[in-house]
Amino acid sequence: MPRYSEVLAPAGGKVLMLGNVAIARGFLEAGVQFVAAYPGTPSTEVVEALAAAARRLGGRPYVEWSVNEKVALEAALGAAITGVRAVAVMKHVGLNVAADPFFSSAYLGVEGALVVVSADDPWMWSSQNEQDNRWYGLHAYVPVVEPTGPQDAKEAAKLALEYSARYKRPFLLRSTTRISHTRVPVETGAIPVEELEPRGDFSKNPARWTLIPQYARMHRLELLEAWDRLRRELAGFPLNRVEGSGPVAVVAPGLGYRYAREAVKLLGAEDEVTIYAVATPVPLPEPLAEKILSHDMVLVVEEGDPIVEIQLKTMAVEVDARTRILGKRGAQGLLPRHGELGLEKVAAALAKVLGRELPAWTRGERREPGVKLPPRPPVLCAGCPYRSFFYALRRAANKLRLRPVYSGDIGCYSLGILPPFEVQDIIVDMGASIGSGSGMAHTLTGGGRVVVAIIGDSTFYHSGVTALMNAVYNQSPLLVVVLDNHTTAMTGHQPHPGVGVDAEGRAAPEIRVEEVARGIGVEKILVSDAFDIRDSEAKLIEALRYTIETRKPAVVVARGACILVALQQARRRGIKPPTYYVDPEKCTACGICYKAFNCPAIQRGEDGKAVIDPALCTGCAECVQVCPFDAFKPSQEPPEEWTVIMRTAKPA
Amino acid sequence: MARALNLVVTGVGGQGLITLSSIVARAALRRGVDALVAETHGLSQRGGTVIVHVRLGDVDAPLVPPGGADAILAMELIEAVRYLGYLRPGGTVVLNDYLVPPPLPGIETPSASSLLDAIRRRAGRIVIVPATRKALELGDARVANMVLLGAALEAGVFNGFIDAAAVEEAIRESWPKAAEVNLAALRAGRALAKSS
Repeated sequence: MPRYSEVLAPAGGKVLMLGNVAIARGFLEAGVQFVAAYPGTPSTEVVEALAAAARRLGGRPYVEWSVNEKVALEAALGAAITGVRAVAVMKHVGLNVAADPFFSSAYLGVEGALVVVSADDPWMWSSQNEQDNRWYGLHAYVPVVEPTGPQDAKEAAKLALEYSARYKRPFLLRSTTRISHTRVPVETGAIPVEELEPRGDFSKNPARWTLIPQYARMHRLELLEAWDRLRRELAGFPLNRVEGSGPVAVVAPGLGYRYAREAVKLLGAEDEVTIYAVATPVPLPEPLAEKILSHDMVLVVEEGDPIVEIQLKTMAVEVDARTRILGKRGAQGLLPRHGELGLEKVAAALAKVLGRELPAWTRGERREPGVKLPPRPPVLCAGCPYRSFFYALRRAANKLRLRPVYSGDIGCYSLGILPPFEVQDIIVDMGASIGSGSGMAHTLTGGGRVVVAIIGDSTFYHSGVTALMNAVYNQSPLLVVVLDNHTTAMTGHQPHPGVGVDAEGRAAPEIRVEEVARGIGVEKILVSDAFDIRDSEAKLIEALRYTIETRKPAVVVARGACILVALQQARRRGIKPPTYYVDPEKCTACGICYKAFNCPAIQRGEDGKAVIDPALCTGCAECVQVCPFDAFKPSQEPPEEWTVIMRTAKPA
Repeated sequence: MARALNLVVTGVGGQGLITLSSIVARAALRRGVDALVAETHGLSQRGGTVIVHVRLGDVDAPLVPPGGADAILAMELIEAVRYLGYLRPGGTVVLNDYLVPPPLPGIETPSASSLLDAIRRRAGRIVIVPATRKALELGDARVANMVLLGAALEAGVFNGFIDAAAVEEAIRESWPKAAEVNLAALRAGRALAKSS
């Protein structure tokens, strides 16, 4: 089954969809015409699904992978100014990158519609921080819609786009990991296919569309007025609802509702509570808040920061309500301020509010398993070209007797933090390897100190380019390594400007890293075969020497396909990569392959000799280069096509 | 407690845990049973520990609470033990007899027998099948997940919620072209569980 084809399932059915695909479906049902995004977990599949739809509907809606979130939001805003229904999609930290146009969009408003999707990641399953982007709504005066679970993610997306069109203001759709990445049955509605074609127009009107001070002041006043109106009218948002009529109010924004509802059932407390499901947490609708504040006792259950709790407490002061409001804040904080909600946490908080005994199962008795477990962090895949390159990098640094500081970045190569490579000494945000690395390059002194910035191809296009320009202009003596595996690998193999394919699968111009670097003014640029340890090592030594001697930046582009894309393509073309095995006669149990190279497919046998797990071997032949004793042998002669695919495979 | 089936599906990223869980959910949908499958994507998938929460029936929240899983389906021994705290007292563990040492230099890997002992101490019932070995025999390591699913079916984990025919239909629906090897794996898993 082609990926994400369920997004176009016929109307009137019940189809299993990932929350993100349901969001995409909701946008399609609302007639979305323009989509721009940068991939980021847990947001990516919204756009993958929309791109899959566009491929099958002849480019309707228009879908692009933008180079970063700021550009994506600007592009979507531009489209919305021409009267088109547009969305921009990103992960929570992406909105930091896009904050500038986001704030401006609230002032300008739109002619069509604009929904910005932010997928937040409580407990940082795949992120550098835990950030509740509903704050952005309060900060920028952009109303926030939050599904009350994956169950109504489709409806929430659809309504957000419709409300944006009605109010001519941008809306923020906030999802969280467990909404985006939970699969649920979704009832499908009709998609107005003909309306997905973007047909924009524009009438000159500088007072409306330019934010020079004289007009911005006017917009500010209008914005405040609109905000007050929204605070009243969002009470009628269809996903806001009240269940039950008990004395205690359980206010449950977003996913909090699902935990609250199930916890109430588990405690058999249906008669004691009134549940307020809140799908518009920002601004908290006043008529809803008034009803909530008529209760003596309120428990707020929300994923992330206490955004609704704070608004409720503020309003309680404003109207002099005596309501006791409990949640995450204050000495009475019943729910943790970090991480995700859980049924056990919500049930325990509710039991306390209701003066019940804690149900035994919520006490989370964690008996020790009686065996010490090793951690299992994510690692570079078997056959990843970054492993052979990192091996070469460590060798080059050792040969030159350097003590490099490795300025790291966001992507698969972040996994280079682990032993044996340990080539990610700082990790800050997308693009910071070059930005922060160039700062360090000006301040680090001492023998053998050199900064090596390590960035992936997609991250380079995202925000490495500007930082590299800064490094050239300010003559930062650092080596920039761009790991080019022809895809945005970590988020599931999206194309980017270096791939030659766009989001809808059409041929696109290919912007090569080395040409960008040359255009910016880098004088020393070398391209290495990331799978070839000798080649990479030689080029790294040359580039490091150059940087140290000239005190100027140098760039090494390490090229080699993501092995997962290569394997997929080989399968499609009927090419079978070899698997490797260990010749026990030749293996001396030196351990280089499983200690210093650390391929997950190679394990230490009981006699200390290496063993390859055939279920994990990808046939990359990196181990053959690492072994000094020639102990790794292929099960079959590697097909010539395979060695080419390994180096050139790209997402289609 | 409401009528629901809570499962934890675990293993190492890349072992097809999300696929296994989706097949379960699709089979449930075919029988008119509601389903929630909370998955692990992105960073954690790269050979790291993976846990998928599968909830069927009358459920609202996406995550299985600790101590609330009726069964754990584990594709790897260490990961089975890591998430044992999710198993309810007396719950079932369906296990792939397969150990993947974490590829970290200098890390000590517990023995298979000590891991199995830990599971035995906690589980009400344990069904062990060599899913990865069987999949390699069938010519594709990737179908080990279907071997494990077959074993879980045979062990009665899904009784009252989904049946084998629904799972087979879900497999055919998911892989119109590659259904056969997956169905063969499913049946092999059932046969292995029957004889275990």
